[in-house]
Order: sequence, then C-alpha cells, then structure tokens
Amino acid sequence: MAAEFTSTKLNADNHLLLDQPLLRLPQELARRNLKSVQRIVEREKEYVLPALKDAAKASMSNEQTPNQTLATLDAMISRMQGLKRKMENLHQEEKKIHNQSRKRIQHLEQLYEIPSLTDVKYDHWSRVRLDRLVVDHMLRSGYTESAQQLAQEKDIENLVDLNVFVQCQRIAESLRHGETKDALQWCNENKAALKKSQYNLEFELRLQQYIEMVRTGDRTKFVDAMAHAKKYLTPYIETQSAEIHRAAGLLAFPPDTKAEPYKFMYDSVRWVYLSRLFIRTHHELLSLPSRPLIHIALSAGLSALKTPACHSAYTSPSSNPHSTTTSVCPICSTELNELARNLPYANHTKSSVEPDSVVLPNGRVYGLHRLLDMSKKVGSLQAGTVKDPTTGQIFDESDLKKVYIM
Amino acid sequence: MMDLVQKEHERLSKRLKSSQSIKSVQEAIDLLQSTRDKVASDPSQASISLAKLQTPIKSTFDAINDNLKETHGGLNKYSKSLDKLFKDRPLPNSEHDALSAQEHLINRAIAMHLLREGQFSVASAFLSEIAEKKAAERQHEIDSDAIDEAAALLDIGGVPSSKVRDQFHNMYHILHELKENNNLLPAIEWSRNEENKMALEARGSNLEFELCRLQFVWLFHGGHEQRGPTPGGRHAALEYARREFQVFLPRYLREIQQLMGAMAFTPNLQDSPYKNIFNNQSAWADVSHSFTREFCALLGLSPDSPLYIAATAGAIALPTLLKLQTIMKAKRTEWTTEHELPVEIPLPPSYLFHSIFVCPVSKEQTTDENPPMMMPCGHVIAEESLKRLCKGTRFKCPYCPNESHPRDAIKVFL
Repeated sequence: MAAEFTSTKLNADNHLLLDQPLLRLPQELARRNLKSVQRIVEREKEYVLPALKDAAKASMSNEQTPNQTLATLDAMISRMQGLKRKMENLHQEEKKIHNQSRKRIQHLEQLYEIPSLTDVKYDHWSRVRLDRLVVDHMLRSGYTESAQQLAQEKDIENLVDLNVFVQCQRIAESLRHGETKDALQWCNENKAALKKSQYNLEFELRLQQYIEMVRTGDRTKFVDAMAHAKKYLTPYIETQSAEIHRAAGLLAFPPDTKAEPYKFMYDSVRWVYLSRLFIRTHHELLSLPSRPLIHIALSAGLSALKTPACHSAYTSPSSNPHSTTTSVCPICSTELNELARNLPYANHTKSSVEPDSVVLPNGRVYGLHRLLDMSKKVGSLQAGTVKDPTTGQIFDESDLKKVYIM
Repeated sequence: MMDLVQKEHERLSKRLKSSQSIKSVQEAIDLLQSTRDKVASDPSQASISLAKLQTPIKSTFDAINDNLKETHGGLNKYSKSLDKLFKDRPLPNSEHDALSAQEHLINRAIAMHLLREGQFSVASAFLSEIAEKKAAERQHEIDSDAIDEAAALLDIGGVPSSKVRDQFHNMYHILHELKENNNLLPAIEWSRNEENKMALEARGSNLEFELCRLQFVWLFHGGHEQRGPTPGGRHAALEYARREFQVFLPRYLREIQQLMGAMAFTPNLQDSPYKNIFNNQSAWADVSHSFTREFCALLGLSPDSPLYIAATAGAIALPTLLKLQTIMKAKRTEWTTEHELPVEIPLPPSYLFHSIFVCPVSKEQTTDENPPMMMPCGHVIAEESLKRLCKGTRFKCPYCPNESHPRDAIKVFL
C-alpha cells in the first residue's frame, strides 16, 4: 500500500521538467521585445534632442530661416510619428507575449491541483502535454502545416510556439538554398545576445560569403573578397586565426581543387552545416532545448516501460493480443516496438507475478483464476480441461502445477 | 514555487507601461505640432518657441526610459522566479540522443497516434509533409515514391497502411456512433463480421454479447426516447431478445436469465437485485472501452495510445533519471548505453503490463539468454544461477529442502 502511494503521488514541482521552455521562451521573447523598444527609443532620443538644441541655437542667432526651422520641426514630427508606430507594433506583440505567458502559467498551475497520477484530471493534463510535445516535434522537423492544424484542433495555440519555429525554419531553409541575407539580418537583430553564444554563427556566415566571392574566380571579385575579409573576418582573429589563415590560402586554389581543406571549404555541404548551426544558435538564444522534447520524454518512458519480454523471441503469457485475459503492452505494440529495441529495459528488484500462478506442461505460467475464467469463456471446451490463452493448446486441469516465485 | 511565478508575472503585467509611453510620444508630437503651427503663423516667435520645447521633449524621453527601466526590473524579477522554479532541474543534455537516428519510427508512432485519436486530417497533412521533405532532400520534385514511402510508415506487419488507416477510420466511426448517438448497431455489426467473430471467439471475448445486452437495456429504457421503462420499451426489448439472444445460449445462459428475470420487477427495477445491469452509469463508457480494446487487439495493438503511455511514463520517470544522470556523469557513463536502467523507476501499477521475474539468487531479471527455470519443487531461479549452484550434479533447492538434478528443471515463460 505504501509503495503504491509513493508510485502514484504527484509532485508537481518535480514533474515540471519538460515544461521549462513553455515559460522560458516567452520570457526570452519579452526580453527581446523590451530591448527592441529600448533601441528605437534611444535612437530617436539621440537624434531629436541634439537636433532640437541645434535648431534653437540656430534660430536664436538668426542662422536659420523660418522655413528651415519649419523643416526641422517637420522632420522631428515625422520621426516621432515613426517611433510611435514602431512602439505600437511592439506593444501589440508585448501584449500577445504576456497573454501567452499567463495562459501557460495557468496551464501549469492546473497540475498543482491534481494529487495523484491516477486521477482522471492528470490523464487529461498529460494528453494536453503530449499534444504540445507532438506539435513541438512537428515544428522542429519543419512540418508546419500539420503542427498548425493539430494546435488548432486541440485548441492549444497559446501553449505552442508556431511563429518562432516558422521564422527559424524559414531562415534555415534560406541557408540550405545558399542565401546568407536572412541569417545575417537575424544576427544583426540579436547582436548583443550572440556575443554570449558558444557558436560562431556570424563568423561562419561571413566566411561563407567570402568563399562565394572567391569561388567566382573573378580577379576583381578577389579584391572585394579581401576587403570583405578585412572588414568582417579579422575582428575574429583572436579566436578564429586558423580559419582566417585558411581563408587567405583559399585564394590560391580553384573551386575544383582536390586539396584539403580547401576542397571542403568549397563543398556545398557547408550550406547544410550553416543551416544546422543557425538552428542550434537560434535555439540556444531562446533557451530552447536542442532536441525535440518528445525525444527526451520517450527515451525515458520507453525504458521505464520496457521489459526483457518486449523483444523476446517467445510470446509473453502475461501480455499479448491473443486473449482477453491480458492487455497489449505499449512497448510490444507496433507503434513503439522497433523504437524501443535498442534502449535499456527497466530495472526491477522484485518479481511481480500473479499470486495464484500455475505452470502448464508447455512451461507457460498463468494465474489460475485467469486461466479457468478464460477457459470457461471459450465454449466448446471439455469439462476438466483448460486452454492456453496464448498458444491455444488444450491441457488437462490435473496437469497444472503450482509455481513458487520468491 | 508556481505561486511565486504567477505572482511575479502578475506584478510584471502591472509594470508594463507601453501604453503610457506611447501616450507620452503622442503628447510630444502634439507639442511639436503646435509649436510648428505657432512658428508658421508667427515666425518671430520661432526662437522662443524652440527654447521652450527643450525641457518637455527631454522629459518625454526621460519618462519613457523610466517606464522601460521599470519593465526591465519586473522582467528580471519574473525571470528569477523561473530560475527558482526550475532550479537544479536542467533538461537532459543532448550528448546522447539514441532516438535522433530513428526519426522515421518516431514519425510513425505519431502518425498512428493521430489516427487513434481520430485526427485524420492532421495525420494526412503530416504524412504528405513527410513525403515533401523526403523529396526535397533528394533534390527533386515530389514524386510518387516519396508519397508511398511516407504512407508506408503506417504499415503494420503485413497490413498495408491504407488498410490500417481505413481500420482506424472504421474504429473512430463506430466509437463516435457509440458515444455520441448511443448507437450500438455499427459495433454489433463489426463484431459479427465473420473474420472478427472468429478472432474474438478465440480471444475468449464477450464483446458481442456485451454490446447486445446494452442494446437490450437501451431498448428497454425506450430506445431513442430514453423515457425510462415503459410497456413499449419492455416490449421492444423482449422482441430484441427473442430475435437475437438465441446464439448466446448456452454460453451466456445465466446472464440472459438475469435479463429476463429483471422483467418481472418492472416498474420497480430500482429496488430489484438487477438494478446494476439496468442503471449502470458507466455502461456506455465500459462498452466503448471493451470495443476499443478488442478492436486494437485484433490489429495486435495496445488499447491505449502507446505514444501517450510512453510519454507520460517518461514524464514520471524523468526526475529520477535526471538525478541519476548527474551521478553517472561524475562516473563518466551514460544510462542509455546500458542494457538495463541502473535504477528502479516507480511507476503507477497500471503501467505494469508484463509479469516481472527477478531471480532470487542473482537478483537479475531473466532474459531469453538467461531464462527462468523451474525446479521440480516449483521454485524458480534463473538458468545461470542454476548452473552456478548445481555444478552438474544433484543439488538442493535454495528455498526448500528438495533436492533435484539440473536436467529435471524446466524452462518457464512468464
């Protein structure tokens, strides 16, 4: 009884593991949103205040005609209107983010009101969690349409991050097609945060641009390439000196060279690499786990459920689809069987079998009660005989033997 | 902890001053505009008006920055409350992701889960997006190969995926009729399909009878009207019994006698010993559950979505596994590389499906390579333990005085 209680008790604080990104992501987005506001306000402040001062000074000393003053004021008005418009857009976004956070907090709070894992409310909550994990997986794989549909049908749009992943996929896709523009713009928007990144996304992108210039084989482009390298690559000289020297060497090798590492630098797989690097950097910046949450949940869950019987050559008497006496184990079910094959099975320190276990002459063990019950249900069976629910063999009741499991 | 997060978020919401800031900008714009108008109508006022502008415009920006600072403070406090909530609970790192190489199997599990849930349009969108991606990876237009390949994700054993999809469609339709319209007929029809009937019988399933019995009860309560027992309902039920129950004799003789016996108690069924058969609140849910179980079993599938059970078990197991990961990391090993998890995960009893046998001598679980062996006395130990104990000759059972020869031990299947 005590063991059962501990295995069904729900400790919400401990349970909220897979749900970190649910709150972390909007918090990161809110931070970014605030940064954007700060940036545009600062920019206008730095323009408007000095301009106003200059205008006042000029007007005082009669260096400015009234028309010039009017023009200065008009320019200021239009910039302030621009500022207001941008702030309004960001404010709309901010409201959306915080509304989403609120909904997510409410969703997590529900878990705190559920005392037990066997509660039907937990079942419901856990199904919503699975829907979230599935949508997360779809978005990360680029199956946007499916993700959108599922989120809509399950009414969990506030609990998933469609836009973030769609934008991420779009940029990753553009890199796979050999374009750096969107990715560089993204780097520019996240300049401050990128400084703390463990990856060198921007350097790699600039290096790729350089490689593309050299690839043309055009002498005039070489000059551009060197200027590009000087401007964008040399600032990284302390950390990336090997790559920078290699880049310089590239000038001496044509794109069809067999010499490494230059052959590799020209290789188009670098775009695939850049695309992946972008995704990793993007997820790092937004506190998103690098692999789909469903992988984390499943690799733990499959192992926790798996037993040596799940991939045994012999049909397990205690769980198989051949009779109503047993229920099919989820790991034995087609959906997961292959997936679980190479994972470790659960650890058990105690046997657990039916207390009234008997063994049939074929070595199969069943609970006596279950066996007799089943044999009764199968009509057409002679009195005093039992049917092996798994193999269908028929045995005399007198051939059953009690088995003792310690 | 969650309370703190909730409180900090509420506090933060109060510290969002964007609309106020936008209002300040508008006031500054108005001020600039009125100054402009003044200068336009009276240029001589230009320098004095401009001088007057300096302070209010500067304080507009100061006010906005104060607002931003306040929001910033709120955000920091909120993010600290999140740190506290998730403290010491980092997600497992990605160094070893055994599942990432099995993408297609995960997609298959998801697609089948969607079908089980009746999400047919999402499932087909999903399969076609998988096909598109495959085609794109091969650098050419989407072709029929890729579509077939994606669809083939759903093949079960020898059953092609289109058929699997039809099967689930059918299951969903039957369940829908059952739950939404109290219509048992599609389910009864399914259970009487020749092939299904045989398979159900071999399983020792009561499904057909359970369905028909509920149909009887439903008719008794007035069918679509459900006005409670009326002479008309009683008549319809008896009519149904005469027509349909013949085949259930003699297997369900006792149950049928109960149904008939109950008729004698109308209209006072409530006080009769049969009230549970006739006023069972969960009868429809129970019968839906039996139907799903039988339907899935005939496909060799588990009745509940395995993806759901596994993901839930995973969430329950994670706290224990993470604690372990920290320890294992110190020892430079990873749990996913072992045959067996190094620690027991307490799962609720409903997550146990197979019998578990742990050899009482070696304390190891038995496997195909090291199966459980039963000695003539009925005690069971693992084969390796047996070999170690007997050394080829007669030996004493470690749990009773019985002596036996190792060749008398038989392999058992739990």
